[in-house]
Amino acid sequence: MSDWMLLLPVIAPAVLAGIIFLVPKRLDLVKSTIALVGTTLNLIFSIFAFSIAMSGSLVFTMAWGGFGIDLSLKLYQFSGFIMLAVSGFAFLIALYSMSFMRKKESQKPYYAYLLLTVSLVTGAVLANNLIVMLFFWEALLVTLFGMIMTGGKKAFPTAVKALVISGVADLCLMLGVGLTVYLAGSSSMDQIQHLNTDALGAFAFIMIMIGAIAKAGSMPFHSWIPDAAVDAPLPFMAFLPASLEKLLGIYLLARVSLDFYTITPGSWLSTIMMTIGVVTIIFAVLMALIQKDYKRLLSYHAISQVGYMILGIGTALPIGIVGGLFHMINHAMYKSGLFLTAGSVERAAGTTDLKQLGGLGARMPVTFICFIITAAAISGVPPFNGFYSKELVFEAARESGMIFYIVALLGAFFTAASFLKLGHAAFLGKRSENNAGVKESKLPMTIPMVVIAAGCLLFGVYNQLPLQNLIQPILGDAMHGHDFAGFLPHNWLLAGISVGVLLFALLNHLFGVKRTGSGLGAVDHIHHAPGLHTMYNLAEKRYFDPYDIGLVLVKGISLVLYRIDRGIDWVYEVLAVKTADGISRGIRMAHTGNQSLYILWSFVGVILIAILMVSKM
Amino acid sequence: MIEQLILLLIVFVPVVGAFLLPALGMLSTKLRNVFALLLVVFPLAGAIFAALPILSGSAPYSLKLDFSLGIPGFHLSFGLLADGLAVFMAIVSTLVGAIIVFYSWGYISHYEKQNEYYLMVVLFIGSMMGIVFSTNLIFLYLFWEISAIACWRLIGFFRKKHHVLRADKAFLVTVFGALVMLIGFIMVYAQTGTFDLTEMKGTLLPNLAVLLILFGIFSKSATLPFHTWLPDAGVAPSPVTSLLHAAVLVKIGVYVFARLFIVNFHADVIWSTIVPVVAAVSALVAAGAALVETDLKRIIAYSTVSQIGFIFLGLATGNRLALAGGLLYILMHGIAKGGLFLCAGIVEQNAKSKNITELGGLAAAMPVTAVTFIICSFSVMGIPPLGGFWSKYMVIGGAVSAGQPWIALVFIAGAILTILYLLRAFTSVFLGQVKIADVREGSPVMLISVVILAALSVLAGIFINFPSDFVNTIISQIGVVQ
Repeated sequence: MSDWMLLLPVIAPAVLAGIIFLVPKRLDLVKSTIALVGTTLNLIFSIFAFSIAMSGSLVFTMAWGGFGIDLSLKLYQFSGFIMLAVSGFAFLIALYSMSFMRKKESQKPYYAYLLLTVSLVTGAVLANNLIVMLFFWEALLVTLFGMIMTGGKKAFPTAVKALVISGVADLCLMLGVGLTVYLAGSSSMDQIQHLNTDALGAFAFIMIMIGAIAKAGSMPFHSWIPDAAVDAPLPFMAFLPASLEKLLGIYLLARVSLDFYTITPGSWLSTIMMTIGVVTIIFAVLMALIQKDYKRLLSYHAISQVGYMILGIGTALPIGIVGGLFHMINHAMYKSGLFLTAGSVERAAGTTDLKQLGGLGARMPVTFICFIITAAAISGVPPFNGFYSKELVFEAARESGMIFYIVALLGAFFTAASFLKLGHAAFLGKRSENNAGVKESKLPMTIPMVVIAAGCLLFGVYNQLPLQNLIQPILGDAMHGHDFAGFLPHNWLLAGISVGVLLFALLNHLFGVKRTGSGLGAVDHIHHAPGLHTMYNLAEKRYFDPYDIGLVLVKGISLVLYRIDRGIDWVYEVLAVKTADGISRGIRMAHTGNQSLYILWSFVGVILIAILMVSKM
Repeated sequence: MIEQLILLLIVFVPVVGAFLLPALGMLSTKLRNVFALLLVVFPLAGAIFAALPILSGSAPYSLKLDFSLGIPGFHLSFGLLADGLAVFMAIVSTLVGAIIVFYSWGYISHYEKQNEYYLMVVLFIGSMMGIVFSTNLIFLYLFWEISAIACWRLIGFFRKKHHVLRADKAFLVTVFGALVMLIGFIMVYAQTGTFDLTEMKGTLLPNLAVLLILFGIFSKSATLPFHTWLPDAGVAPSPVTSLLHAAVLVKIGVYVFARLFIVNFHADVIWSTIVPVVAAVSALVAAGAALVETDLKRIIAYSTVSQIGFIFLGLATGNRLALAGGLLYILMHGIAKGGLFLCAGIVEQNAKSKNITELGGLAAAMPVTAVTFIICSFSVMGIPPLGGFWSKYMVIGGAVSAGQPWIALVFIAGAILTILYLLRAFTSVFLGQVKIADVREGSPVMLISVVILAALSVLAGIFINFPSDFVNTIISQIGVVQ
């Protein structure tokens, strides 16, 4: 493979996206076919590229922006792995959309943005120049905005919200990139290595970290995701917030904390990251617990799970970093799989409102089985993939501080509880009358689900495959000869505790079902617990939405700034006019027409001139 | 010889030709419109021609005429110089200017006094050429004031009482600033004995002179605290506001800043902190005001005040990256802001309102305008792949490398507000409830103009290497060492 071929996965999907924009309105099948063919070719290319990256790296460089901003792309172990994952998900989503988006409006922008997103994410991952990475990264704002907009009128405010939140984070990233380039003296990512985390370095690190975790959907940059879950077309959720954005965000987080800067275990930066991690885990999962909508519930988990990745990487321990990265790929799999089951349910039953669902399991067996597997994976049930990555993160957290471990464990409990509730409410119980004619989805939708579910099992049972081939090599020497792979748990004590927590969640579920008589009410006793109840009410009323709080703050600040501006204008509109007016009025009043007065003036003037001349002599 | 002729023609074809337009207009409006466009395209072609020696590294076009005024000890020279900076600015101005004149074919055809309109617009662009290429401070001042007169007539074009008052305000503020600047120029003359910029290159200016000259520059470029005339000037016809913001007026101040303080003089180091601080305050206050205003054109106008702050930051910071960012910002902002105002013009003309609380849901009725508006907005926000991204990054990155991360942080806050106010304008005009029924899309001529500008924003972002290379050449010519 020649180096210039690295441009292909960046340019080709973008060109295809342009072609889709030109295809006439009625030919919807052509658009979805272009997208499918494009993502298929992209996948083939990525497999090929990855096979090369396994054995060495490939760099392409071309002059572009001047001032050290070269269009430099680098294929190596890490970028090849992310690129492969990205193209895999893109292909599955495109296939899924063939059936899901059929007969829906705005397919043109949907498919065009899908391909454009693939192009930009690939560009951001391959970029070997920090500023070029920023270019691709920020350009994703356009496709994010556009893709949510395809949800129709109701989605517009959400699109704006997503753009504002991500835009703010991206501007922080811009500042961080600028600082990092300055500190390193180069924008080539190869040459930015282990910078000091002194005051300025730490500031730059935090700015880049904000960009990375915001892309991954961590708190406090999360609040557009649950809204988008309801308003945007469903495959979008599986595509961006559930998989691609996580891959990209965590990729950068790993790069910045492993390569660009050195974060040591126990440092304050490490503590900040771990704190963000556990806060995100616990608050998002608590919100997920009480949701009554399939998609909204999943979206809160998409936020909560990022917490584990940030926690893992934030520990700065090899086991935590490996766990965080492993969790990233696992999460992308089971979460997109879960969203796809939600789409399958939505397409079949016409709703994702859990109150109107129930008893779908028998009618939609494939969807149900895929749900069970992916839900078990996210809950950390052995031997699925989520179990193994969570155990690694748990161990790292326990080594870093008991409080982090306990919160992470609590998160696991609530995760399991909410998925028991979700599965029970949607697939078991009595079938509601609305769902009488429900049928299983067509092949283009079931294939991606089955593939992903199989992947969850494979990456669990045979976790040597991802760990030894994809993730552990990224850390290189930092691994100190460790190997965290293996079917049997690494740390029996922690694994035992985790399983205990799962069993406790099951008991809790049975208790709740018995109390209320329905799967949907299984967590009502937690929802309505004293104290929690008030918090939930406030949260449901959006008192805790950082976006809304931010907007109120900005509104206040801008009013103050506006007053300053009006104050300045007052100087021109009133003060200057009044002053000029006053002066001319005064002069006018002096002109009384009294001749003797004028003669007096002249006399005084002559004397003054005389004095002046005399003094000059 | 031919080079000197081209230089003279670049300046005087539009300045003199403008006065033929009313006569032509009496014969045929079509002929006049085409001729007006040609009068702007001509300097564009000339500037591109003058760019060739710069790209190939040979001596730039220049011209110098000495004449004595019969006053002993005082001689004046008229000089034109097409160095990289001048050519760059001339191309930006005439490119955006030509599109605006083309757009005017559609826009202004609904109104009276078209002859005066085209006369003033072309004279305006011509005076810009004079400012850009002049090497003599007196002539620079002269063209500066011609532009103020043209601007005064154009802002008050519709002749309503409050329009005229606002035109007067703009005139008074900018001319006041220019007169103060003239005192600064005279101080320079007292120090060097000449008004010719090329002869006094490298002079260290006293701080008072710098301050006086900055008065003029800030008032023309609508920087805090001399900025409030610019939002008020929104009463002008939309192509005129577009011209003021994107191509000519506010760019005069920025250009003269670059010409005097980067190319020509040395000023105390303190100014590379003072100017960014003033610019930061200006960027922030104007952005806040843009978030409160409800008039579409005032919002975009405050946005200009805010973005000019970024340009000054880039130009004043003093290193290569920031300077490149500042220059590219002139280009990217010109294209995008021109597009925004022209879109606002379409909205204003067809929906008969520019109050964003009265507008809504126009995207369905005018999809092309909506899409171009958001593309241009993205460019101003600094979102790739649009050109605005590069200039914004370079300005921020440059400020950071100059050891001013805190000022950069203030500008990041300004950039966040930019996202907010532009999205607020976009959503309340184009999304949401339809409040005005039966709105039609703009005329083809107007749509073509805005689409060209949006497309240029995209192309400038993807093919950044071309403008960036040119800017790099300019900077190497200037010889920035800091």
